[in-house]
This record gives sequence, structure tokens and C-alpha cells, in this order.
Amino acid sequence: MSDVAPVLVLGLGNLLLTDDGVGLALLERLAAEPLDGVEYLDGGTQGLALCGRLVGRRALILLDCLAFGAAPGTVHVLDDPLRHAPPRSGSAHEANAGELLRAALLLGDLPERVVLVGVEPDQLRTRIGLSEPVEQALPTAEAAARRVLESLTVTLPVTEPDPCASPSR
Amino acid sequence: MSAERIVVDPVTRIEGHLRIEAMLGEDKRINEALSSGTMWRGLETILKGRDPRDAWAFAERICGVCTSIHAIASVRAVEDAVGIEIPANAERIRNIIYLTQVIQDHVIHFYHLHALDWVDVVSALSADPKATAELAQTVSPHWPLATPGYFSDMAATLKRFVESGQLGIFANAYWGHPAYKLPPEANLMAVAHYLEALKWQKDVVKIHTVFGGKNPHPNFVVGGMPCSIDLDSDNAINIERLNLVREQILRAAEIVEQLYYPDLLAIAGFYPEWAEIGGGVPNYLAYGEVPRNSIRDVDSFRMPRGAVLDRDLSRIHEVDPKDPQQIGEEVSRSWYRYPDGTTRLHPSVGITEPQYDGPAPPYRHLDENGSYSWIKTPRWRNHAMEVGPLARLVVGYAAGDAEIKEVVGEALAALKLPAAALFSTLGRTAARALETRLASRWLMDEFDALLANLRNGDTATSDTRLWEPSSWPADCSGFGSCEAPRGALGHWVHIKDGKIANYQAVVPTTWNASPKGEDGSRGAYEESLLGTPVHDPQQPLEILRTVHSFDPCLACASHVYGPDGRKLSTVQVR
Repeated sequence: MSDVAPVLVLGLGNLLLTDDGVGLALLERLAAEPLDGVEYLDGGTQGLALCGRLVGRRALILLDCLAFGAAPGTVHVLDDPLRHAPPRSGSAHEANAGELLRAALLLGDLPERVVLVGVEPDQLRTRIGLSEPVEQALPTAEAAARRVLESLTVTLPVTEPDPCASPSR
Repeated sequence: MSAERIVVDPVTRIEGHLRIEAMLGEDKRINEALSSGTMWRGLETILKGRDPRDAWAFAERICGVCTSIHAIASVRAVEDAVGIEIPANAERIRNIIYLTQVIQDHVIHFYHLHALDWVDVVSALSADPKATAELAQTVSPHWPLATPGYFSDMAATLKRFVESGQLGIFANAYWGHPAYKLPPEANLMAVAHYLEALKWQKDVVKIHTVFGGKNPHPNFVVGGMPCSIDLDSDNAINIERLNLVREQILRAAEIVEQLYYPDLLAIAGFYPEWAEIGGGVPNYLAYGEVPRNSIRDVDSFRMPRGAVLDRDLSRIHEVDPKDPQQIGEEVSRSWYRYPDGTTRLHPSVGITEPQYDGPAPPYRHLDENGSYSWIKTPRWRNHAMEVGPLARLVVGYAAGDAEIKEVVGEALAALKLPAAALFSTLGRTAARALETRLASRWLMDEFDALLANLRNGDTATSDTRLWEPSSWPADCSGFGSCEAPRGALGHWVHIKDGKIANYQAVVPTTWNASPKGEDGSRGAYEESLLGTPVHDPQQPLEILRTVHSFDPCLACASHVYGPDGRKLSTVQVR
């Protein structure tokens, strides 16, 4: 497990629930211009099943939908989210993200640095696609996440070949 | 006459909320219960008009935990509709992915969620490490981590967590409740094994990564599995990767046989009264799972398909999910509308049209005489059914399956309980562990079968002859199932001119958490809570035990109310 990229950017959320999928939309933008030493992972709405992916990381950046009651589209950056009061996330996987971090803490797998970049939702209903205010917030959120990434000192990544790539259509 | 009321509410309409309202009688036992929840009911609108070959990728996002389970049901439904037989290797690989998921899910459910209903973490702090080591060695003689030093370290770690206020993961329970009956040493052992299970589950998902590519959202394909296998190639799943899978399968078997099953027996031994509580509806349904041959060959299922009514283990009823006379969903007590004159619809022609006529949230309690849930009411031949590990074992037992009867008999003998004990909260929890034992055996069988097939020179993993929609019938329908860890999952698809015309999923929690039927019959959760004693309405631990024994796929917020509707407590149930 020592050959993992030192930084994990983990997108969380359900893309079938409008703004709940903002973390995944952010992930896509960030992964479009990947940085060395950073792995980009779509965690969906998984919780504990992601535990193994945190092992050996020096930093973890979580991208998520975060309902703090601010105006829709507001971008929040929380350094060390576990030390803050538990985020009152309005997202469907609220318990899962918190549980993931707490389980990692318990197992001694929590990276030294954990930062949460979250966007206030406008809508959480069954539909694919973001609401307008959240869509418009993406560049700001992306810039915030990039600033965090750039502030981290990272070493070169080792990428593994994937024999199970998607079939070509 | 209800003396106190215990309630549960969908806080928002997003996935993940379950509300239970329980009425307490003067005797402190539950005499009526309502189950209400938000369920994923928007799939059909998202999938309508899409390419059926893409449906699995959306279905995979329905549930945070059962990603591959929904994907398998979806590709099976489309393959059934257009008439695709997948290659033997693909069937084996799907079984391997499925069984891995079941084992991981059951182990995590037991230690991470359910054990804390029976294990008092705070009591573990006062355990004697030496006595704990002796207990652990008796419970599981071959498990190596059972020294006084190990348990002493464990106690210190736990103490640090409790004192730092970072109980976090353990924060969600009623420590000190008189319904906890384990001695401190058993509590410490269970907490230690909880940590071991948590560590183990980080690695077992590697099996999914080998076959499904990316985790946590593995790749699937209509027609087979999208991975190439060549034992000797560096650019495919080769023998080196398969050896990694074998290692993980062996490790999983070790966890199940030396940790989970012995712990289940040890803990169950302290709670014999729970073998008489929580039975619920006497009817059990399983679509069946793990085909030895093809998914079309129902007789080859390791876990048989069928229904058992009135707990009559001498008779198994044939189940055909495509027969419109068998499965029907009602909405008379749900917040949906059907066309006039329709009371029940088969999922293949299912309609999901919301019609909310409940109180404006946040509300105090549900209207037990009206509609009270976002979950529909599925029935099999008019019967409310339980689905899940217990249903699967009961159906297998009634079918006379020797392997299933053996593991059930062994556990009942070890616990000195009669077969009737199965129909209870304890029985449901035990069934999950017994099924995990079977799953870990079958996992190795399926892996060996895959390897034998590959060594015989068959490396096909998908059949693309019917890939193009132009090769399909213009109008076709299909059914795909997968026995999710929580129970029978069915997907019904209707394809017209190569596009999805209708799509319905009936998930396991729809069966178990359903509201009442047209005829007033209760759903499985509702029925199972009747007669349950509640020692302290402020700390309804007993309700959690039974609801958790079903492994609900919804997080659950429960509110306890007094007879005048005054709120007594709010309980977050994970």
C-alpha cells in the first residue's frame, strides 16, 4: 500500500440527486487537469467501504455538498473537518462521510491533513444535473480546491495499470 | 389502549430516512407500530428514454452500499429482455463480486452497526485483560489475537478514545442500559473484534478492484463482464492477480469462521429471550441467488428461489417474479396515486406518481388511518413478506437444501434452541452469520470453477453478438434480480425501439419497511415490533435491536412521543 499517491481527492455525493452531486462535478473539473502525486476518486455515497483508500495518504481533500444554511452556491473550505463541530450536512450521505473519517481516526489511518471543500446546495431531489447557483459556484469551488492542492507538498505518484478499463463503445 | 407513542419521520425527502412510530401499552410492550420512509422512487424518471445498456451505471448510484448489487440486477434485467446468455466466466465473476459484497456487508453490519445493540462499549473499560484472553480462547481457539497483552492494549486504546471525548463511532448508543447483558470481558472481546473487522474490510474490496476495475463503482457490461482474463498476460487479469483474489478469499473465510460466527454464538448465548421476540410476518420470500450454471437455470441456484407461508417449512411455493398475479405493489397507505380503479400494479407496469397528502413537515406524528409513507406496499399473492438472510435460509431449509440445513442445525444445536427460534430478532441476526458462512464457502467454489474454466482454455467474459439494439426485438420486457445483503432486489425493464420505456426497482427495504396493505395487514418491520418490551421509552434500545436485525438500507431518525403527543426523545438510528 506504500505506492499510493500521497494526496487523495475524494468526491462524494449522489449524482442522481441534483446538487448532492456537486462533489462529483468538482472532482471531474479537478481531474481534467491532474496534478502529480494526486489521485482523484469518485467515492459516490460510500462510507466505510472507502476506508482502505485512505491508507498511506498524507493529505485528503473531500469534495462534497454541505448545507450550513448559507446562500445556495456558497463555497465552504473547512480545514480538519473532524475537529470542527460535526458539519450539519444536508446531504444524503452525511453519516457516511463522518463515519469514514472517524473510522480512519480509530484505525490510525487518518491523513495528517484533511480539508473539506463544500458547496451549499439549492435543490436535493431526484434529477441529474446541478441547480443554477451551484453550477455557477463551480469555478470558485474549483479554484479553492486548487489553492489547497497547491499548498500541499507532494511527491511523485506511482500509477497502476488497470486491466479492467471500460470497454470501448 | 396506547399509553405512549414512539415515532419515526422522513426529515427530508432525500434517500436515507426511516421513521418508526410505536405505541406502547400499559404493560410497556409495543401494541401497534407504523413504518414510514423515503425510498428511492425516482429511478424510472431518470432512466426513461435512455439506452438500456447504460442503465446499470445509474442503478449503481441508487444505493451507497449496494453499488454492484443494483448493477447486477440491472444488467440481468436487460439481458433477460433482449435474450442474451452471458458466458460461464462472466456468471462466475458476477457471483464472486456478489459473494464478496455479501460477506463484507454482513460482517460490517454485525460489528459496526448491530453489535452495539448488544455490546456495551463503556462496560468493556472495566474488563480484566487476562480473563478476556481466556474467554476469547474458549470462544475461538484458533484466532491468534487472544493474549492478555493484546486485550490490555485494546482496553488502553479504548480508554483513550472515551476520555478524549472522541467516542465518535461508538457515540450512538445507550451505554449502561439494563438490557445489556454481556459481562465486561465479552464486551471488550467484541470491541476488539470490531476493530479487527474494520481493518479487514479495507482489504477485501480488492477482489472487486481486480474484477470490476474501479472501486467503489465497479464496471459492468450488458452481455458479460468488461474485463479480459489471460492467465499468462501482463495486460489482463493474470494468475498473479487471481492469486491475490484467492488470498483475500482465504482471509475472508478466516474472519467469518474464527471471528464473526464464534462471536455471534457467544453473544447470542447471553440473549436467549430475543429468540422469542421480533418474529414478525410469518411469510418469507427469496428470488434466489448464486447460479451454479446460468441465471436462467433457477434449479442451479445455491440459494433457492421460493416462498414460505405461515412458517410452514414442509412446503415451498413457486415464485415467478414475472407473473402479474404474484407480485403487486399497493399505494393505498403511501403518498402515491394510481389511476382510478387500480389498487395493485405489477412492477413491470408500475407507476410512481407522488401525491403527498400528509401533514406539513416537521410534524409530530403520522396519520395511522391514512397514507403515511413514501414506500409502497409490495405483496406476494396478497401476503406481506419478509426478505433477507432469514428469508433466504427459511426458503432454502424448506427446499430441503442439505448445506443450508446443516449450518442451521449446527447453530441451533450450539445455542440449544429449537427451529422455531429462527423466527425472531435473534434468529434474523443469526441467519445473517450463517449465510455468511455459506457465502465464504461458495466464494471459494466459484473462484475454483472460474480457474478450472480458464485452464480449460475458455477465456470468454462477454458475448457481444446482441450488443447492437438493432439486433433486439422492437418491444421486449425483462426481469433481473439480485439477492442484496438485505434481501430480494428486483429490477423490471420495458424496452421499446432500443430505449427504456419503463423501469421499476423494488428494493428489499420496500418489502420489509412497507406500510400497511389495503387489507390492513402490517409490513415486516411493523409486525416484528408488536409485543416488544420497552424498558425505557427515552432509550428504546429494544426497538433498535429488532429494526437493525433487518439491516435497513435507510438511516433512521426515531422520535419517541408521550401519550399527549409530547416529544420524549429523538433517537438517531444509523
